[in-house]
Amino acid sequence: MIGKPTWFKRRKYTGWGIYPKNWQGWTYIAGIVAIVALIQYIPLDFMGITGNSQIRTIATIVFCVIIVLDTIHIMARLPMDERDRIHEAIAERNALWAIMAALATGVGWQAATSALNNKVQIDPVIIVALVAGLIAKATTNIYLDKKN
Amino acid sequence: MKNHIAKLRKTANLTQEELAAQIGVTRQTIIALEQNRYNPSLGLAHAITKALKQSTIEKVFDLG
Repeated sequence: MIGKPTWFKRRKYTGWGIYPKNWQGWTYIAGIVAIVALIQYIPLDFMGITGNSQIRTIATIVFCVIIVLDTIHIMARLPMDERDRIHEAIAERNALWAIMAALATGVGWQAATSALNNKVQIDPVIIVALVAGLIAKATTNIYLDKKN
Repeated sequence: MKNHIAKLRKTANLTQEELAAQIGVTRQTIIALEQNRYNPSLGLAHAITKALKQSTIEKVFDLG
């Protein structure tokens, strides 16, 4: 892909993703900003191209998909020693617990208000998120039990 | 678990970065090890022992 893992470090304190750690990383970020700006402002009329806003939207979406895939590729190749892996595992577990607690609280609240209003008003996206977490955990444990 | 990594590293004339690069960990991990804030896995303990040119793990780590 485009970016190299040596240009970035993993975000630890400000969410998920990567952060540039040298001039090459910052140049990569500047390049992304420049390309997005170019897509938004490049004059297409003089080229006889019509439907500008749709073309710009499609081009922006395609570029964003490329950048997201490149970011995932960089993150997958970022080196982590055993201490980094342990710390990340614990931090991700705690983040998951916080998210699951918030989602479960939300579902509980919606269930309670549904019961009071005699009308089912539970957001299915929250249920899907909780079930997805459950499946991810079960699948991971099955994989690890077989592997080790 | 206490260790003698800092002393042995200085005897071997290695910086924390050089030792980290040799055994494939970050400098932060070497700092945590030297300050006895992190206990390495057996594999990492062996790698550290080898990098510091010691014959046994017991010379690097106080296992008692």
